Amino acid sequence: MKRYYGRQIVQPKIDPIPKNAVVSPTFRQNICQRCGQDQRAALPNHAYYCRACLALGRVSTLDVLVSLPEPNLFDTPTDLTWQGQLTAQQQQVSAALLGALAHQREHLVWAVTGAGKTEMLFPFIAQALKQKQRVAVISPRIDVILELAPRLQAAFAHSPQVVLYGEQKAPYTYTQLVLATTHQMLRFVAAFDVVIIDEVDSFPFAGDAMLAFAVQKAKKPQSTVIYLTATPTKRLQQRVKQRTLNVSYLPLRFHQHLLPEIKTALVGNWRRRLPHQMVAQLRELFARAVPLLVFVPHVADLAPVFAAIQQIFPTAAGDFVWAEDPQRVEKVQRMRSGTLHFLVTTTILERGVTFSGVQVMILGAEEPIFSASALVQIAGRVGRDQLQPTGLVQAYLQQMNFKVMAAQRQIKQMNQRGRQLGGQR
Amino acid sequence: MTCLLCGRSLPKKLDLLQIFGLMKRQSANVCSMCRQAFSPIETACVGCGRQQNTTTLCQDCRRWQAQGRQLLEHRALYQYNDAMRRYMQAYKFHGDYILRQVFNDELIQMIHTLDMDVVVPIPVSTTTLATRGFNQTTGLIDGVAYQALLEVAQTKKAHQSQLNRQARMTRAQPFAMAAETALTGQSVLLVDDVYTTGNTLYHAAALLYQSGAQVVKSLSLAR
Ligand SMILES: [Zn+2]
Ligand SMILES: [Zn+2]
Ligand SMILES: [Zn+2]
Repeated sequence: MKRYYGRQIVQPKIDPIPKNAVVSPTFRQNICQRCGQDQRAALPNHAYYCRACLALGRVSTLDVLVSLPEPNLFDTPTDLTWQGQLTAQQQQVSAALLGALAHQREHLVWAVTGAGKTEMLFPFIAQALKQKQRVAVISPRIDVILELAPRLQAAFAHSPQVVLYGEQKAPYTYTQLVLATTHQMLRFVAAFDVVIIDEVDSFPFAGDAMLAFAVQKAKKPQSTVIYLTATPTKRLQQRVKQRTLNVSYLPLRFHQHLLPEIKTALVGNWRRRLPHQMVAQLRELFARAVPLLVFVPHVADLAPVFAAIQQIFPTAAGDFVWAEDPQRVEKVQRMRSGTLHFLVTTTILERGVTFSGVQVMILGAEEPIFSASALVQIAGRVGRDQLQPTGLVQAYLQQMNFKVMAAQRQIKQMNQRGRQLGGQR
Repeated sequence: MTCLLCGRSLPKKLDLLQIFGLMKRQSANVCSMCRQAFSPIETACVGCGRQQNTTTLCQDCRRWQAQGRQLLEHRALYQYNDAMRRYMQAYKFHGDYILRQVFNDELIQMIHTLDMDVVVPIPVSTTTLATRGFNQTTGLIDGVAYQALLEVAQTKKAHQSQLNRQARMTRAQPFAMAAETALTGQSVLLVDDVYTTGNTLYHAAALLYQSGAQVVKSLSLAR
């Protein structure tokens, strides 16, 4: 029975219904009650199904939605086993989060990449768990969830947690602490007292009506929602301005250094030949054996740019990588271990990955594929390491535009806040 | 309009060759990339439609013949490759019924070419019908007049050991006639989604011959 608590389970009408379960129809006024969309496709005999959320298993008029109200029946230990110390800044944010919890409000944490936002969540999560609240930590990106899972498990060593995502095979169990991709929220209804959304702006969550619906449905009407991001969407920024959303800033990285700012250089058509400024910079970086990421706008740019670099620097070990690259994981690993000196990449490496001491170049930074957020995220790849807290973020453009300037401004503003807190370059 | 299989948007304009009818018009609901992943059967065993270098009878078909079966002269449109396996997964097991349209035109064309008196689909169980909501085979040939002459036989729950012994010998007849039907002198085309061992179709054919069919042939999307 526990597996029905706060869940919304799709089952055929002909299957037996568990005792006391709440049974509801799969469609209301043509809207799928699991995902909130109207993307129906016909079945024979006037039946139909939803194509919008088909990836989670089909919902059709031959099914019903079965649920048991979330009872918050938790008796597992909730103590925080993490022993670390928060910086003064982190402590301030942590206090703000505890305030949001007390008032069951929404709260945005606008933290630069590498600020240590996970640790700062620990006291907040511990408090919620202690109050028998059910907590979901979710992200649109599965890599974010997979990275968070062991850290949370270590911080709450005695609290069982379940990790939910598309391809995983392990069966669902009822736990107080749930880690999941945003998609998985479609399978819950009024289950969570606390929802923490990490990298809230990252594809595919931003602007996706279905996933916004999922979060809305999975949380209880009275609940605390925390948004974590380095690059809030326009909508979130607007709400901050209108003061309908409280915000905490975390402008300094854990090592107390400022974000590297984006340098720009106007160049000719780099698709024809590499800019000579870039060649000079490459020569200098390769001579010092500095690891380098070169971002390009499109998959089609990868091979030519890689070949051009190889031709000039035949001894530099490099490769290129894109989203569907079957060897993506291996290449990232070889870059991490230092076997590769440089990697030419599309925006897939804009977030989530950390390479110690890496510096970045962005070719065609003015092109549409690089949003202001993407550029800020790319800059955030640099200086993650305490030993090398700064480095080069060089954008090559054929013309300047507002978007690149917006990215530069965002970083400058964060750095201004950081300087007030005593941050250094 | 987007590709039914990958969701990418499809080009609007028709190929000139298609407009002038010089090229076979394929259902324009799947992009060329997805279409290419399927591999059509060109030269095949005349007994079972299996892709091979010649049209001579394969080992399996000679075995059917040795058992005294009238060969089905089975025709299949595509090989059961990776793309087809994924298609079947999405269509049949995930229940994405709209995917019946992907091969619908081609199957209808083939059925017209074969020109038999009666088209009979392989049935699915009532449980499958109540949960999946459709028979995958009748979905594939949507638009063709067929007769649902067969049904899945009601099997009594056999004892496990008994079942194993049965399975070791030959599987029992899984079908029954849905109604007493005289097929005397008629030619019948059996249709299934996939031809794997031939067991299913030969069992079905046996029933139709018992009901008086003069000749029974078969067709499937994949082999
Ligand atoms: Zn849906
Ligand atoms: Zn396609
Ligand atoms: Zn054969």
